[in-house]
Amino acid sequence: MTDEPSEPVAVLNTYSVVGIAICAVLAAAALFSLPTLQTFGLSFGTAFWLTAGVELVTAFGIAYFVLNLHEERA
Amino acid sequence: MEAAILQAGFDLLGDGRPETLWLGIGTLFMLMGTFYFLIKGWGVTDEEAREYYAITILVPGIASAAYLSMFFGIGLTEVEVAGRGMLDIYYARYADWLFTTPLLLLDLALLAKVDRVTIGTLIGVDALMIVTGLVGALSETMLARYTWWLISTISMIVVLYFLATSLRSAAKQRSEEVQSTFNTLTVLTLVLWTAYPILWIIGTEGAGVVGLGVETLAFMVLDVSAKVGFGLILLRSRAILGDTEAPEPSAAATAD
Repeated sequence: MTDEPSEPVAVLNTYSVVGIAICAVLAAAALFSLPTLQTFGLSFGTAFWLTAGVELVTAFGIAYFVLNLHEERA
Repeated sequence: MEAAILQAGFDLLGDGRPETLWLGIGTLFMLMGTFYFLIKGWGVTDEEAREYYAITILVPGIASAAYLSMFFGIGLTEVEVAGRGMLDIYYARYADWLFTTPLLLLDLALLAKVDRVTIGTLIGVDALMIVTGLVGALSETMLARYTWWLISTISMIVVLYFLATSLRSAAKQRSEEVQSTFNTLTVLTLVLWTAYPILWIIGTEGAGVVGLGVETLAFMVLDVSAKVGFGLILLRSRAILGDTEAPEPSAAATAD
């Protein structure tokens, strides 16, 4: 046993991995969701912009989670 | 002859859409790219390489879902345009671009190692480019469509200018391997992305010089090149390896 401070080690951030997986599933599902959204009474325009919004938000989500894919631990 | 060119394709589903041939081929290419990158990246331990793989696998992955939705007609709608009648609009294409183009730019930004503010700005302008293109695609007068196309094209020029200047100068601070890969990918992006607004303006959503079959084929070739081709160049390069593995023979090099 030594008292020397150990080098920080980068480990995979589990939350980021889960975040990436959720964003990917949401993005893929949104591409097929428009007809379903319309059956709930939404107009094409509303359903379409909702779908587009999901794509954009999930892309930002992926970017965020990839930039935080690793965390440093001592 | 002319009619044959304008209707290029084959109606695979029997629903009167010859472009389904190109959409089906596009789906297959995107799926092949996704699985190839997935297999290649399986077991990669390098921190930086993991980030590139995560992004680069998702790009053709979501694109294959978009192509599948267009293939089955889910990602298709009709817009009544004054003076042009009813136009078929594959809206899933735009939804796909909203997801994939920011991630392709993120790959380039990670290569150049720019700060998060620069990444945010780049992705923000890119989102503006796609959203304005989308508004143009759904507009009901040709004047509105061309106006939105112009705004979208200007946004694209800003994105490409950013790539060729700010990101390129940041990439110059990195290793020769990174610089070389970054330059190759930037040229690929500049050339391919420039073709999109040209194709849009001569295609069915713009002036209607080329038919839906040719337009779908051309978009498919551009999409596969800009996503799978981009990923192949990036992931086969040693530039994606961080400091932890850089001195060792790379996994990519041995796999090749």
